[in-house]
Amino acid sequence: MYSLVDVHKRYGLRTVALRKLSLDIRPGEFFVLYGPAGAGKSTILNLLAGLTRPTSGDVRRNGASIVHLPPERRNAAMAFENYALYSHLSVAENLAFPLRAAGVKHAEVTARVKSIAGVLGIPHVLDRRPGFLSGGQRQRVALGRAIIRPADIYLLDEPIGHLDAKLRHRMRAELKALAVEMKATIVFTTTSSKEALALGDRVGILNAGRLEQVGTPADLYDRPANTFVASFVGDPPMSFLNVSTRAGDSGPVLVTGDGQVIAAAPLSALGRTGLKVGVRSTALTLVEPGRPETLAGRVEVLEHLGHSKIAVIAAGTDPIQVSLPADAALRPGEAVGLRIDPTRLHIFADETALTMDPA
Amino acid sequence: MQRKTSVFVETLRYGTIFLVLGFFVFPIFWMVLTSFKPEGAIMVSPPRFLFTPTLENYAHALHDKNFLFYIKNTLIISVVSTAIVVVFGSLAAYSFARYNVGDGHILFFILSTKMMPAIAVILPYFLIFRDVGKTAIGKSLHLGLDQHGALIVTYVMFNLPFAIWLLVSFFQDIPRSLEHSARLDGLSRIQVLRKVTFPLAAPGIAVTAVFTLIFCWNEFLFAYILTRKMASTVTVGVESFFTLQGILWGPVAAAATISVAPMLIFVLIMQRYMVRGLTFGAVRG
Repeated sequence: MYSLVDVHKRYGLRTVALRKLSLDIRPGEFFVLYGPAGAGKSTILNLLAGLTRPTSGDVRRNGASIVHLPPERRNAAMAFENYALYSHLSVAENLAFPLRAAGVKHAEVTARVKSIAGVLGIPHVLDRRPGFLSGGQRQRVALGRAIIRPADIYLLDEPIGHLDAKLRHRMRAELKALAVEMKATIVFTTTSSKEALALGDRVGILNAGRLEQVGTPADLYDRPANTFVASFVGDPPMSFLNVSTRAGDSGPVLVTGDGQVIAAAPLSALGRTGLKVGVRSTALTLVEPGRPETLAGRVEVLEHLGHSKIAVIAAGTDPIQVSLPADAALRPGEAVGLRIDPTRLHIFADETALTMDPA
Repeated sequence: MQRKTSVFVETLRYGTIFLVLGFFVFPIFWMVLTSFKPEGAIMVSPPRFLFTPTLENYAHALHDKNFLFYIKNTLIISVVSTAIVVVFGSLAAYSFARYNVGDGHILFFILSTKMMPAIAVILPYFLIFRDVGKTAIGKSLHLGLDQHGALIVTYVMFNLPFAIWLLVSFFQDIPRSLEHSARLDGLSRIQVLRKVTFPLAAPGIAVTAVFTLIFCWNEFLFAYILTRKMASTVTVGVESFFTLQGILWGPVAAAATISVAPMLIFVLIMQRYMVRGLTFGAVRG
């Protein structure tokens, strides 16, 4: 088990990469670090690899501090975001590099290189130098070099981020299968919500050097801890409505800025200001305009996704995204009613951004 | 229509190329030509392109003047100086590129030593080497006047700042993640330098070596002041043909041709390594 304990990391005097961050990575798990660019994902990988040291705090392996252990003695393998391929060596030599450094016998090196090149779909470029490869091929070489040798922990920094959509989809599946087969501990960073949810046994959401939430993909999707997580996980992202509470006939209700009642409110929300309601695009249904307990809106934009459609509906001042079947007949400008599934909405008090689900 | 223009442009292009090439190559061509001329055919007007070639100028330079001795001196001094410059220049440049030692100030100080004219320090150099040569250390390292060590130290002194400056940018172009990756694969810092960093910086190191060697080979001022006979280099050797009885143009041309040849061959060999494109651009993502 790898742990970061109260890790604070500063670059220079001003740039704070990580703020008092604690995180456990369990043995054998596929842990995804997901966050926007500059959130501190690569810094966490560098700390685990021993390429940088924390400004304060501790990095531990099975409870013992490894802060002072140099990278060559950590038995970690890493794929770098900028590939870090040795341009003076061929692809085959690049892949063989970690094995040669570990003193593996020549025949075995050749066999392993061949097999990994097959997995990654690059056997035809083994003799070329990295300079003559496409971006996607380079990325696969980088990934291959990281996973070619057994290691205690694999650190993969956006290893499939630069591939084209089709290849990325295929590599995602292969990576998942490979991880299960290797029973390896993997830390994987990404800026794609889909990748995070598809690959991770657990996902840590990182924002501006803080862990916003750590949990299984289902946790994050169904029980986001705050609006950042809610808006960042899932595609299309969660839509938000600014609401307030008011006494209704049978308890408190949530009302939008222009007075429309949405749903019953939990008691804890009473008297709180600056409330937000978050809804997934799938928790909404479109109905005739003017029905009771619905939100009046107007279709603004329609996006075709092939298997479905996303409609952006202007309800008051808030844009709301709704998933629709692909054959839904709808035109921009049309007036519609929005029905929110009251069991599937998330309530946030927006200063604290905490869930207050009525459940 | 289009074809006609292109023929015109091509003619113009090649015409220009030949003109420029002629301008630069003709003096060398004339030097080589002169080295094969009999004495009577050299300083005549109009200049003669046709004559019976002779090797007597080479015989004079090599045999009577023992020009190979100067070549040997130059070879020793240039190669040793270049080796020192490349080794220490690389190490210093790596340190500047990776750890930004002195926050740029030391690097600037090093370059600033190149800002004074060489002749400003020639007298102090002369006096220093004269005295150092008399000490025990100076004697054991051949640092006295008319000894190889003195010129080597001087050339290292003058080339190191430039070499460091040149190499820093080459090392900066190598992404850190390459070294990080090798570290994670189990290589120590020193092994990383040997197996990853220096091979990647090879074109830069080759360029630096070529520049340094050419400088040392062609240097005249210090060689002229600091040597008399035993450690004289080719430039001083050529100058020795300018005798009181007159300038021996034929032997001078032969000696100059002999001096130029090794550098020409060396640069042709190194050209392959000097192609930056071989490495750079490939490193980048």
